[in-house]
Amino acid sequence: MQKLIKKVALSVFFIFQITLAFTQAKKPTIMVVPSDNWCVKNGFVTKFDEMGVTKTVPDYEAALQNSSDLLLVMSKLNELMKDRGFPLINLETSLKSMKGEMAEDALVTSKSGSGISETPYDKVRKTAKADIIMQITWSINQLGPKRSITFNLQGLDAYSNKQVAGASGTGQQSFSTELPVLLEEAVLTHLDNFNSQLQEHFSDLFENGREVTIRIKKFDSWSNDLESEYNGEELSSIIEDWMAKNTVKGRFSTSDATENMMLFEQVRIPLYDINGKAIDARDFCKGLQKFLKNPPYSIENKLMTKGLGAATIVLGSK
Amino acid sequence: MNIKIKLIALLFLMVEFSAYSQPVQRKKAETATIEWRYELECVGIGVQSSYLVKVWSYSKNAKVAVEQAKKNAVHGIVFKGFAGSGQKCPSQKALAPQVGVEEQQKEYFSKFFKDGGDYMKYVSVSGDAVPDVVKVGKEYKIGIIVSVLKDPLRKDLEAAGVIKGLSSGF
Repeated sequence: MQKLIKKVALSVFFIFQITLAFTQAKKPTIMVVPSDNWCVKNGFVTKFDEMGVTKTVPDYEAALQNSSDLLLVMSKLNELMKDRGFPLINLETSLKSMKGEMAEDALVTSKSGSGISETPYDKVRKTAKADIIMQITWSINQLGPKRSITFNLQGLDAYSNKQVAGASGTGQQSFSTELPVLLEEAVLTHLDNFNSQLQEHFSDLFENGREVTIRIKKFDSWSNDLESEYNGEELSSIIEDWMAKNTVKGRFSTSDATENMMLFEQVRIPLYDINGKAIDARDFCKGLQKFLKNPPYSIENKLMTKGLGAATIVLGSK
Repeated sequence: MNIKIKLIALLFLMVEFSAYSQPVQRKKAETATIEWRYELECVGIGVQSSYLVKVWSYSKNAKVAVEQAKKNAVHGIVFKGFAGSGQKCPSQKALAPQVGVEEQQKEYFSKFFKDGGDYMKYVSVSGDAVPDVVKVGKEYKIGIIVSVLKDPLRKDLEAAGVIKGLSSGF
C-alpha cells in the first residue's frame, strides 16, 4: 500500500513538473536601436526615391560602423540588462546575419535550377525583429563652455506599437567631462526607472495577456461579405463572439466595422496556448482561421502577419 | 562625608541613566524607521551599482541617529524610493513597490533589518561625510550621506523571493 502511495505521489510530482516546464511563457526579446531622429541628426540615413517622393530611412549599418558613442551606449545597456537577466539582441549581429542569409538565398538553387522564392511582400518584411525595441536618442547641449546630455530611452512594444517604458532627462552641466563619460552616466541614471516600468508591463502581460491588433478583410472575388448571415446571425457578430470567447477576460475593442472589413484593437491574447506553446498574433489567428474554414461557415481565407503583433485574415480565398 | 556619598550617588545615577537612555533612544529610532519617519534625499546616481543618498533621521541622541541612518537608507530604497533633486538625480522607485510587501514578508524583513542584520552588507557611510545637525524641538534631525549598493541588494532580495526579478515568470 505504501509503495503504491509513493508511486502515485511520484507520478503526480513529475506531471506537475512537466506541466510547469511547458507553461513557462516565452521570454520577450529586446533590441537596442538608435532612433530615427538621432540617425537623421547624425547623418546616418539612406535616401531613395519612391514614386517621385524622396524618402529618408535610417542606415543602422553606417551608424554602427561610424559612431563609437552609439556602440558604447548599446554595449552599456546590454551589460546592465544582462545583469538583470535580460541579454539583448545585438543589432549589428542581426544585420550581419540578415545580410548573410540574403547572400546565401541568392546562391541557393535546386537541382532543376530554381531559386528560393520570395515575394516583394517577403522582402519588405525582412527587418531585424524583437518583441521590445529600446530606442535611444541623445543630444549634446552646449551652453558656453559647459556641456550636458539630454538622454531619451523608449521601450516600444512590437506587438501593440505602444511605448511601454521610458526614461528621459538632461544630465548635469560639465566643463570638462568627456562625452562617453556623460553618456555612460546617463545610461546608469535612467535605466533603473526604465526597468521598473518594463517590469510593470511584464506583470500586465501575465495578468491580462499580450496586446495585438487583428484585421478582417475580404477579397473582391468573394461573393459574401461580413454582413452575410449564417444560421440567422451576421458573420461580423459571429467573429466578435469568437473573439470574446478566446481573448483573455474577453478583452478587445472593435474599432471599425463595415461590410468589407473589421478592425480589432487592444486584443488581449494569452501568452501561451493550451499546450503551453508561446503564441503571437499569427498563432492566435490560426484558431479563428480554422473556425471560419470549418462548417457551417466553410469560408476559405488567407492569414497574413505584420510584425509580431498584427495579423490580417482576408476572407474568400487563399 | 555626606557630600562625598551624594556625589558618588549622583555619578552612579548619571552612568545608569546614560546606559538606560541609549537603548530607549534606539528603540524609538527603530519605531521611527517602521513609521517611515525619515527622509531620503538624492545626492548622486550614475555610478554603477550604487545610490548615494542623504538620510535625515530623528533622535534625541545624535549617535543613535547616525547609526539608524544606515538602516533608514536601505529601508527607504527597498520600500519608499526617493525624489530626485535637480539634474543630477532623477527620482527612483522603490525596489519593492508592491503594496503590503513589508507585511507579507514580515519574518524576512525583521531578520534583515535587525541590529547588525544583512542590511549592513549594502550600506556604508560616505568617507568624507560630516553629519548635518538641525535641532527640531527636543530632537535632533541629523543628515548623513550614505552609499547603498542597490544592485547586489536587489539581486539578494530577488534570490530570496521577496521581490520579482525582471525575468521572473519567463
